[in-house]
Amino acid sequence: MGILSSSSSSPPSSKSGIDSPTPSPDGAFIAPSRQSRAVCYAARDRFFECLEKNGIIDSIKEKEKSEERCGMEEGELRRECVGSWVTYFKQRRVMEHNKKQTIEKLEKEGASVL
Amino acid sequence: MSFLCPRAFTPSKLSSLLSTRHASSTTTQCLRAHPPTSRLPILQKPPAHFRKISTTRPRLAKPTVEEAKARARRGPFSGRAALLFLVTGACMIAYFRLEKARMDRQRIAEATKGVGKPKIGGQFELVDQEGRRFTDEDLRGGYSLVYFGFTHCPDICPDELDKLSRIIDLVAPTRRHSISTSSFVSPTSPPAPLLPIFITCDPARDTPSVLKTYLAEFHPGIVGLTGTWQQIKDVCKKYRVYFSTPEGVKPGMDYLVDHSIYFYLMDPEGDFVEAIGRQHTAEAAARIIVDHMGDWKK
Repeated sequence: MGILSSSSSSPPSSKSGIDSPTPSPDGAFIAPSRQSRAVCYAARDRFFECLEKNGIIDSIKEKEKSEERCGMEEGELRRECVGSWVTYFKQRRVMEHNKKQTIEKLEKEGASVL
Repeated sequence: MSFLCPRAFTPSKLSSLLSTRHASSTTTQCLRAHPPTSRLPILQKPPAHFRKISTTRPRLAKPTVEEAKARARRGPFSGRAALLFLVTGACMIAYFRLEKARMDRQRIAEATKGVGKPKIGGQFELVDQEGRRFTDEDLRGGYSLVYFGFTHCPDICPDELDKLSRIIDLVAPTRRHSISTSSFVSPTSPPAPLLPIFITCDPARDTPSVLKTYLAEFHPGIVGLTGTWQQIKDVCKKYRVYFSTPEGVKPGMDYLVDHSIYFYLMDPEGDFVEAIGRQHTAEAAARIIVDHMGDWKK
């Protein structure tokens, strides 16, 4: 924990939604607003809910199963979030799962929180 | 006459008399013990039997067996002594705890202070979201809270910036009345408010106007800083922030940036005090900051 963040670049996607950025007065593209972030998070939560229902943890490794069962949710996620965020959310889900597993394992072995 | 009388009895006899609460019996016995002849001139030698009665026991005399027994039963404590002991003890414990907390904070501040060149932080020259020049000199004179991030950050930075907004409001002395329920607002905080700084790790995408639009959604007090790739690389190095942004990215490219996610609390001399991480709530962070501010004496 502590130093943590994200995966680096993924190719620019051609989806719509917040992926068609608005340029700011000095030419750069403005960042997703609070509103668009909320829409993206909601799509992510729906996608994860579907993965949960189907027992999929890693939707990158289990790409086929994920696309078959949760293709609609994933499509929506890709519409609402930029490509790099989609990859990040998928990876973070695996990381959070592993973290939870590790903590549970350690707790079973009698470790306590410092 | 009768008030002198009890001295003639041994303490045990006296206590037994007092315990019966029969004033009349005391008086009668007293009269019996002091016949009228006891009014003798001082120089006149009293008869032997009488001297025994009138002589008072010296104060430092050995206690009687009954007295010693009574004292042993009670121990050396009286109710008042016990109360005094408890009050003094409680005061001492409270004081030691307070002092220990202060020393701990001082230790953290001192341990990270470094000698000469600061270990974290240092000189930098960047521009704020209005396009004005902003350097480390602008951090002097008050505490500042420095955060590194980027505007296209998926979830952690927005969460942390929301936390920052709350910290600003909790710490700001001008808005103290609005958080009167929070007990940690120390009246000794210096008048200089906390200066919140957001330094981007992604200068290619985060131009001043992008920062301005982005930060306006969080708190009007946050100063957003950006610069050239080299300037940002330098400041990240000085703050020991992991910097992975590639050089020369094209506008519109979609990528993420790895970065450290700590708030750096810097003192009025621009020296690093303490890092505040994800594990701290806004309230805990505000408390740490206010406590450090209260310790500042220079």
